[in-house]
Amino acid sequence: MKFSLTDEQRALQDAVRSYLRDKFGPTQVRALYDDASADAVPADLWRAIGEQGWLAVLVPEAYDGLGLGLLDAAIIARAFGAATVPGPWLGTVLVGEALRLAGSESQQKSLLPQLAAGEVKGAVALSRKGSLNRPPAEAAQGKLTGRLELVDYAGVADVLVVAAQDGLYLVDPSATTITEHESLDRTVRLADVELGGVAAERLEGSSPEILQELLDRAAVLAASDLAGIARKALTDTVEYDKTRVQFGKPVGSFQAIKHHLADVHLGVTMAEYAATYAAHAFDIEAPDRQLAASIAKAKAGDMASESTGAMIQYHGGIGYTWEHDSHFYFKRAKRLEYAFGDASQHRERIASLVLD
Amino acid sequence: MDLRFSKEDEDFRSELRAWLDANLPAEMRESSWWADKSDAEQFEIRREWEAGKAAAGFAGIQWPTEYGGRGGTPGMKAIYDEEMALANAPRTVNPLGLAFLGPTVMAIGTDEQKREIIKPLLHTEVIWCQGFSEPGAGSDLAALQMKAEPQGDHYVLNGQKIWTTNAMHGDKIFTLARTSDPGGARHAGISMLLVDMHQDGVEARPLKQMTGESEFGEVFFTDAVCPVDQVLGGEGNGWQTAMLLLSFERGSSAIGQYTEFRRQWDAVAQLSKQLDRDGAPAVKDPVIRQKLANSLVELECLKYHSWHVLTQTSAGKDLGFEASMTKIMWSETFRLVSDSYEALVGQAFQVPDPSPGVTLDELTTMALWSRSCTIWGGSQQVQRTIVAERVLGLPR
Repeated sequence: MKFSLTDEQRALQDAVRSYLRDKFGPTQVRALYDDASADAVPADLWRAIGEQGWLAVLVPEAYDGLGLGLLDAAIIARAFGAATVPGPWLGTVLVGEALRLAGSESQQKSLLPQLAAGEVKGAVALSRKGSLNRPPAEAAQGKLTGRLELVDYAGVADVLVVAAQDGLYLVDPSATTITEHESLDRTVRLADVELGGVAAERLEGSSPEILQELLDRAAVLAASDLAGIARKALTDTVEYDKTRVQFGKPVGSFQAIKHHLADVHLGVTMAEYAATYAAHAFDIEAPDRQLAASIAKAKAGDMASESTGAMIQYHGGIGYTWEHDSHFYFKRAKRLEYAFGDASQHRERIASLVLD
Repeated sequence: MDLRFSKEDEDFRSELRAWLDANLPAEMRESSWWADKSDAEQFEIRREWEAGKAAAGFAGIQWPTEYGGRGGTPGMKAIYDEEMALANAPRTVNPLGLAFLGPTVMAIGTDEQKREIIKPLLHTEVIWCQGFSEPGAGSDLAALQMKAEPQGDHYVLNGQKIWTTNAMHGDKIFTLARTSDPGGARHAGISMLLVDMHQDGVEARPLKQMTGESEFGEVFFTDAVCPVDQVLGGEGNGWQTAMLLLSFERGSSAIGQYTEFRRQWDAVAQLSKQLDRDGAPAVKDPVIRQKLANSLVELECLKYHSWHVLTQTSAGKDLGFEASMTKIMWSETFRLVSDSYEALVGQAFQVPDPSPGVTLDELTTMALWSRSCTIWGGSQQVQRTIVAERVLGLPR
């Protein structure tokens, strides 16, 4: 019985964390917040992510990838959440997953090596805004119609993977009409995509099962990012409350704060376990992997909201200011909490998997 | 990451299952079989069954063989807890002796104490109570007042203990008393005494719980005697002995609790298909579905946590103060499952048999019982303080 990372996985975790500690910290995040025109795909960071192999993690070795598992990707996602890393890592990884799971050999050959290297950026639209799994596009005769709303990084992506009623499609975003939004979370760029009958290439192996598999894998990676945010928010809050003095004592000595932080710690720990198990469940094709994915997303979404909310509250007034880091974590948590199904939607899915 | 048990551990599971199949009759696994028996009868049946189990080698799973244990692995202990819960096997009659006294005696007892205490405890020949709480000393254990005055070769005990599990069945009690007056030092002058409950100076009275059962009671000491060689850990070291004793709970993986609560959840889920809510099966109600799903989320997290604990203990690591997280997690999860049950049955919570084919007494008793688990063994509030101070490092 070993419910823990392998030495190789710990080394990967250390490598991601130590890179981010040295090269991409709150100062760089702040730059994105303070300059509305700043590109939420910092070029140096994106190049490094590609060079380090963090985009190649799930790509098969035959296509210049590392051929590792979802747990390895989840380790990266969690570290990225903790550091509020910007850039289309998740979308690019998920486009790779769509190709790996459903692409033809020629589709895989033409895109996977470039996705693995970061030379091609990806974005996905797998469900409608506000929906757990309703496809956002309509397909007819190889053309897609519909409006994809609030797609992460659609505006910078070189390739889109879009779900329609009969499968997954590859779309060239330059042939669509893209409207970018200014996002509250500035570690992302959001855009709407008007498909307008764009010619699209169906991924041959697409099926409802594969779309579900992709949605679940996306939920697990989002849950991992959320667990990383939640842990970082808690750690910073605990450190601050050890030293912030009011009424002649560190505020962290007051039971009202202590007990809540103890609960948050417990819940965040459970979210970490849930995200870890869910990723592993896909790697070993465990029979309960769908359930595990929904448990992880529900728990991590709830705890990221709770922990980043506690961060604001237990920093007092400073926690509500622009100049404090709290809002970086809170806003990213709010973005991912509602991406790929929110906690209530995943609880409903749990009910449908277990009760119906 | 490897969530399988070793072959050795799985072999143990097969052996235990085979023994349970042969020695735990189907009717004993049903709560209805127990319903018409008195507390005393139930206790004797459980005691006898547990003695048979010990004789077959399924007791003290992780205890060293030199003390009559099985010398097994943490994995085997987890499997044992899981299988006992799956089989709905009778609860141990010696919970406090097994969890606390045995490991403490093995760690710091004299050779004579080891010989006299451990084997009879495992074989249920002696039922042990724990005498810690007093009316004025609950969460604040160091406020205890019971006196034990040394008089020649024995102590004379006067005072009262309360919330004593198995008070009416106990043969002996390991109890904390003040053997000297150190002045203002609350943690000093305390000793842990091993007292015979079958004497005139010791009187046990049952306390009726909100379930209607009397699983605990009060114990009154009026000039009761205890020989001076019946001190565990040395005179005046009672506080340290108690802290060591309580630390033995830290290895518990809570996999047994998970298994038990998951069975309870499954029963509640089944019930949600039978009960009507607004003209349709309750399982169709979105709010009920959310509640059931939410308690399942916590249950599965409890399972993951158990794997984590087992990973640590199998590697020989002490869980330390993280153990408080285990206690909070399992007891809160139990409450949550019970909450969803209460919300599901609604008005029918009041009666044991609300409609034909629906019997609620077992689940209702569980729901009531869940209210106690966040209190005993260190209340939720005490545990949160421990997590905040000892795990997160927040200031006292």
